[in-house]
Amino acid sequence: MLLVIGNKNYSSWSLRPWIALKMLGVPFDEKRIALRRPETKAEILRYSAAGHVPILRDGDTVVWDSLAILEYLAERHPQLWPADRAQRAKARAISAEMHSGFPHLREHMSMNTRKRYPGQGRTPEVLAEIARIDAIWSEAKGPFLFGNFTAADAMYAPVVLRFRTYEVEVRKKSYRDAMLALPAMREWVEAAEREPESIPELDLYG
Amino acid sequence: MQLVIGNKNYSSWSMRPWVLAREAGISFDEVQLKFDDDGRPRGIDRYGVAGRVPVLLIDGEPVWDSLAICETLAERFPEKQLWPADPRARQVARSICAEMHSGFQALRGAMPMNIRGRHPGKGMTPESRRDIERVVAIWASCRERFGGGGPLLFGRFGIADAYYAPVVTRFQTYAVALSPAAQAYCDAVLALRAVREWMDAARRESEFVPGDEPYASGHR
Repeated sequence: MLLVIGNKNYSSWSLRPWIALKMLGVPFDEKRIALRRPETKAEILRYSAAGHVPILRDGDTVVWDSLAILEYLAERHPQLWPADRAQRAKARAISAEMHSGFPHLREHMSMNTRKRYPGQGRTPEVLAEIARIDAIWSEAKGPFLFGNFTAADAMYAPVVLRFRTYEVEVRKKSYRDAMLALPAMREWVEAAEREPESIPELDLYG
Repeated sequence: MQLVIGNKNYSSWSMRPWVLAREAGISFDEVQLKFDDDGRPRGIDRYGVAGRVPVLLIDGEPVWDSLAICETLAERFPEKQLWPADPRARQVARSICAEMHSGFQALRGAMPMNIRGRHPGKGMTPESRRDIERVVAIWASCRERFGGGGPLLFGRFGIADAYYAPVVTRFQTYAVALSPAAQAYCDAVLALRAVREWMDAARRESEFVPGDEPYASGHR
């Protein structure tokens, strides 16, 4: 199994299936493609015509998009969604909400794992989106959103790192702390800190 | 089961699960909320916490977001085969729906769904053209690999067709010139009974939502 990802410092979409695979304990090869370089597009297109990371290749199956990859993994590893079907529907709802929503947070608080931008990016629209995430996290059953780690936590993992970068406080600190303490999360953060590339237009606040 | 939707003329997100359930013969009660001028569905706070349509209520419990609703319906009604039974086809179907769910921002912004509107040629920018080319490439690839010679993306009707149905109506509203193969797919979607029913209802609606009408000449 091969997971094609972007820069660990910047690619929030890549973190989701990566951490899910790590938490499942599924061995996989990783192909990292540095984003926003002249050769980036052609390299990604070698794996998927959609032209975006992440991409999962498993035998002759190619799955692209973070949420589709999580559903693919959940078919083989059902524990990736809550066992209770009402809880599972809710987990899918908040995952899909993250997948298509929160545009202001994405724009003004883009993921930048190694940077610290305390207080930056807090427009009224961003604050409203933060309040929504805070409300979702406040219902966490603990230690993760639905008790054990699920795909919903994978979907919100990049937000955990954003809130670390922008020093956004939340009510459910135990959830944030549990996510940051995961060995897989620490492995991702350490790798991001060691990455040599920087993308100036994504270093929003210097 | 109740499905809470917005205006049929404008709400592309609502159209997907509605067309899916209706075409697949899954019965539900429709609850329609109309958008106010800010594009917020009036009365939505009663139904869900995300503040958006669509919402599916199962035994009173809300499931929100079109993609989560489609996955939940697929799980609850396996006999309907809302996703393709073939695993390889299923993963492609999931991928293209997820791609539509989070992508195509240029197309969405420049060509908002407006079923009764006719704005030929409007909204064509280099970015929306790229999105359109990608949509057409997705249709061609899916029909070639998995269409089984029929007009739909994966042979029998399913989530993927429901997911791309709003784009088909956009191509009609903005009179996007398409290859014969892409037009044949559009015609097949437009001929689906549930799509016709939704569009007929959309044309009878009279509400005007300014945020979805960038090309209207003066408000009615």
